Amino acid sequence: MRLIGMVQLIGIASWIGLFSRVIRAVEAEGTSLGFEIDQDIDLQGDCNESLGNYKHNCKSGFLSNEGGSETEIEVTETVIEDAPQPTINLRTREDDSIAVKDQIWYPYSEHLSIKPLPKNYLLASFDFDTQSNEFVPGKPSTDFDDYSHYTVFPKAFKPILDQTSTRQLHLRFTRGFWDAESWGRLPHDGFKSGGSGVEIWAILEADSKDSAFRQWKTLVNSLSGLFCASMNFIDGSKTTFPVESFHPVDDTTLPLFDQNKQLYLVRAALANEPICTENLTPLVKLFPTKGKSGITTLLDGHKVFDSSWHSLSVDISTDCDDQTERCSHSLQALVDMVINVPNTLARSENPIPKPLPGDKLRCDLDKPHDAFHCFQLPYETEGSYGLSQLFGKYIQGSSLMSQEPSQVCVDIADSWNTFIQVNGSLFATTDNCFELKDFQQQDIYFESNNTNEVVDVEPVPVYVSRSLTGYGQDRGGLRTVFVNPQDEPVTLIYFESLPWFMRIYLSTMHLEDNPQSPVNISLDDILQSTYYMPAADRVRPTHLEYKITIPANTTLAVSYQFDKSLLQYAEYPPDANHGFEIESAVITVIEPTTYQLRTATLLLLLSTPDFSMPYNVIILTSTVMGLIFGTLFNLLVKKMLPVEEADKIQEGNGLRNKIQLFKSRIMAKFNLKRREVKTDLKE
Amino acid sequence: MALIEQLQRRVVEMGLVPKIIALLPLVSMICAMISSLWLATLPIEGQFRRTYISENALMPSQAYSYFRESEWNILRGYRSQIEHFGEISNNERNEQMAEWLQEFGAKTSIYNNEEYGDSLYGILHAERGDGTEAILLAVPWYNAEGDLNVGGASLGISLSRFFSRWPVWSKNIIIVFSENPNVALRSWVQAYHTSLDLTGGSIEAAIVLDYPGTNDYFDYAEISYGGLNGELPNLDLVNIAVSITEHEGVHVSLHGMTPESINDESYWSRLKILLCGIYRDAFAGLEPLQGNEAFSGWRIQSVTIKAHGKEGGNNDITTFGRIPEAMFRSINNLLEKFHQSYFFYMLVAPRYFVSISSYLPATVVLTAGFALASLNSLLANQYSNLSFYSHYNLKALLFWLVSILVSFVFSQLFLYVPSTILLVAFIVVMLLLPLAAGRLWTITEPLSHRLQMYAFLYMSLVVTSLMMVNFTLAFVVGILAFPMTAVGTQRSLTFKKYALLIISNPLVSFFIVKPHPQLLQKLISAWQDLGCWTWFVLCLGWLPSWTLIALSACSSTNLDPVATSKKEQ
Repeated sequence: MRLIGMVQLIGIASWIGLFSRVIRAVEAEGTSLGFEIDQDIDLQGDCNESLGNYKHNCKSGFLSNEGGSETEIEVTETVIEDAPQPTINLRTREDDSIAVKDQIWYPYSEHLSIKPLPKNYLLASFDFDTQSNEFVPGKPSTDFDDYSHYTVFPKAFKPILDQTSTRQLHLRFTRGFWDAESWGRLPHDGFKSGGSGVEIWAILEADSKDSAFRQWKTLVNSLSGLFCASMNFIDGSKTTFPVESFHPVDDTTLPLFDQNKQLYLVRAALANEPICTENLTPLVKLFPTKGKSGITTLLDGHKVFDSSWHSLSVDISTDCDDQTERCSHSLQALVDMVINVPNTLARSENPIPKPLPGDKLRCDLDKPHDAFHCFQLPYETEGSYGLSQLFGKYIQGSSLMSQEPSQVCVDIADSWNTFIQVNGSLFATTDNCFELKDFQQQDIYFESNNTNEVVDVEPVPVYVSRSLTGYGQDRGGLRTVFVNPQDEPVTLIYFESLPWFMRIYLSTMHLEDNPQSPVNISLDDILQSTYYMPAADRVRPTHLEYKITIPANTTLAVSYQFDKSLLQYAEYPPDANHGFEIESAVITVIEPTTYQLRTATLLLLLSTPDFSMPYNVIILTSTVMGLIFGTLFNLLVKKMLPVEEADKIQEGNGLRNKIQLFKSRIMAKFNLKRREVKTDLKE
Repeated sequence: MALIEQLQRRVVEMGLVPKIIALLPLVSMICAMISSLWLATLPIEGQFRRTYISENALMPSQAYSYFRESEWNILRGYRSQIEHFGEISNNERNEQMAEWLQEFGAKTSIYNNEEYGDSLYGILHAERGDGTEAILLAVPWYNAEGDLNVGGASLGISLSRFFSRWPVWSKNIIIVFSENPNVALRSWVQAYHTSLDLTGGSIEAAIVLDYPGTNDYFDYAEISYGGLNGELPNLDLVNIAVSITEHEGVHVSLHGMTPESINDESYWSRLKILLCGIYRDAFAGLEPLQGNEAFSGWRIQSVTIKAHGKEGGNNDITTFGRIPEAMFRSINNLLEKFHQSYFFYMLVAPRYFVSISSYLPATVVLTAGFALASLNSLLANQYSNLSFYSHYNLKALLFWLVSILVSFVFSQLFLYVPSTILLVAFIVVMLLLPLAAGRLWTITEPLSHRLQMYAFLYMSLVVTSLMMVNFTLAFVVGILAFPMTAVGTQRSLTFKKYALLIISNPLVSFFIVKPHPQLLQKLISAWQDLGCWTWFVLCLGWLPSWTLIALSACSSTNLDPVATSKKEQ
């Protein structure tokens, strides 16, 4: 009986669930246009249908190593010759059932640029831009009569921005190791990627620093929920107000809604906060395509976070027009990642990098090689692969709501060829930029006979690395090495925010002796300005910024010492023995070029108590207290006597004596009674 | 309280106090005997425990290890090149290796040290890690015996290549090729924590590989774990090393014993391992280092795995490579530093250990023996009621301070002039001290008793404080110095007493248990290159006490009239 009831219940619940989902879907898409829903459904159908094709393509196309592929390649080449210009007809609607009366475009554009890096790495940069509708500044959004239509601008952001008077917001989720020596400059010159973990800074309009901080707290807490990151742990002890770093290039464009207020730049970072799917999903949901069409279809958490280095960033700024006195927000979201191509391809074949079969080993024929010996050659320099192999997905259609179709651009050297695959045929363009077709399943395909030949990587103006030095758990040192590989001096701003339990001694800051560096160089010669805000225990971090010039072709090591303070028992995190993450230092190069880079994060080891210790202490202390109390109590209560007297009394108190006494008492009673009887008798 | 009071009164009534005081030398001797016997009881069933993995995250050998099959071909390919590395210079070797490491993306750098030899190191940055922690694989080019570590170096490079293909790493991997497993490696570790520009985060654990020769097969693996200054790696690391080695079907050996001579079920085998362990730890820094000792002191847990023999049936070189592979996989799982398991332990078999609470009483009893000997010198003579401010007492204190000062000068002198001849001369002079007494100077009887009291008290304190950090050295020093307590003080020195005095001299007795013509140089270099305190324990802990005993062994007739009159009575 009960079981049947349960089954029924589950049945009803699932119906309700399905129904509500349908309604939600309608609601969600309803804000835009009807055809979106159609498109969604259509895409689904397309997907299923094309699944067969997909496999077919894979087999007969460029992906397989079988003999048949060669002919296919030839065919594609003829196609290229026939169609030197992109033959993709923009905006062709293949399905007539979708009725779009007017071309309605929204301020949204998406772009994917791909660049092979040396040693078989590949940089993929996704760029999404949207703009909000215009609004009148200073008008509170809480006004009931206010009509706000968000269109493609993420609805979640506007109220947060309004409530906290945020004019600029920058969010970075970065993880991995950027190999600057072989990959060169960071994408977007480093201004769009953070240190390992989460980094956030914003420009807020407030009447005082305190209220700016209060707004900041609201902002980070709201964003914490929005991006599923622990940004709610950002408090005063992690927040800094940067002085020279992080300032926008020209301050004049920043609007001030209330002329009595000021703008405050606030920043915080969570070092080594794990970045994973739960941060990517909310990001993808910000875009109108929502991972369903266009280049967002490639953004799968499994692949993004499998990369060697990845960075997600969101930048929102407020732009105002002086004439119309209207403002709008613009949002730029970027996803940059570096993929190790051979490893990713091998992993999609076999997730475990098992030893290769003997016949697949690539041996150096100049060295001893036989059935037992094989001196392996360096990595392969010939390669051909498609984006679908790297991302595990095809690009599904384009973005329907933007004026320009989604674009994929590939930045390659001469030894490379790249094609777009649509409907099983490959097309090439002269500038290697492809516009994605609506409703089509597409793939970008690369081939090269020398993968090492890539578009020149731009050299980094300066390399900076930082490490902890020292021995023991009460003090340590911080050592920063600046390497200027260029022929001209580099001026940079070094920004560092250290937790309060690292008590640095700025007086110990010095240049380490380096046999390679010029002899007569002292820190005073190269240090131009220093801003130092010492830490306050549990209240604010150490904030250090200095401007330094590194002479040409020089390596310098700046180091200083610090003490490690003891934390209170409850201040240790649950994984106290892991150590404490120190956020990366931010280096902003201002001359001769502009560039930003961050050092690796550090792990600081504080002395950690054995957490069962308090119980031992309690037990010991209680014992000592008990002993003291007992002695004192004895002294207060007991009488002091000479030994002889005490002995006498003790004799009287002995067990034998007591029995005697008891006996005599009983006897006395009896005697008394007898006596009484006797007296009675006498009477 | 009443009970204690009663007890005390009974003791007084029975006149036990003088009896006990009279028996103090015997009791002190018994303490030393109990101390030695205590150690002997540790290998008895019930005194030791079976090891267990305390940190759940480690999960040794839970993942299948893949360093096999065609990886062997690759390893042989590298080995065919490394075989000839004996003929080329360190520099060329390092440069060739650096080139190979860079091929699969490792960042390399060479640490130049003209004094001890250059070290090459490479860092494989973990793709998904935060880059703040690292696991280290160290391969000395030449091992402790001076053989070219061909197998180890081939394993080092082929394992790094193998590791570079795995996406699982949460910690960076550092591979170090140092010239030798002792000073060169130690100086690299030191430089890593002070001056190296290329770093890969804090090192959590280090595994040193030692596979000399070009043989494909080996018999068994020896695991060395003892560090310097009594430091040991966390027991969990030793446990995973033992468990993984045995899981790969390889027999484990400890302290240079062959696996055949290690029998878990035999008391004598367990006792032998225990004593070998104590011997190795106490004289750490004086023996050739295996490599793991180089990491002592930086909170890096390390072990050395060494291949022995040439024809083990199923144990091939990839089997040996799977040991570090599985250990790396295991350590990679750690979210926190090694802290769960014991840092103070003694192994009696690869899978059996004695925890600190079981073995510490051995030294505690020994220090009690010294304390009782000190009490004996204070009480068991007619000068026991001398006031603290009596000139004998103050003079004795002054002597003690001066002896420490002299010992300090002595220890510093040999840091600059480590000459054996000079040392022998000093020892001869020291040994002549008691004979000179009475001829060149006189030490009165009350003074000699007080001197001995301070000597033993100081010795007791030294051994007690050393016991906390370096149990084995404290125990060995305590036992070797114990004959001092039997020297006593007399008018003329008998041969027996003089012999006791000689064998309890710190340097003489150290030479007896560790005979080596270069012992002094080894002690000095252990301090200068490795930071081993043994020399200072001998000079500042033991020598002042011995000097006081040597001075007071022969006392002249008593000159104190009060005491004399008492004696006459």
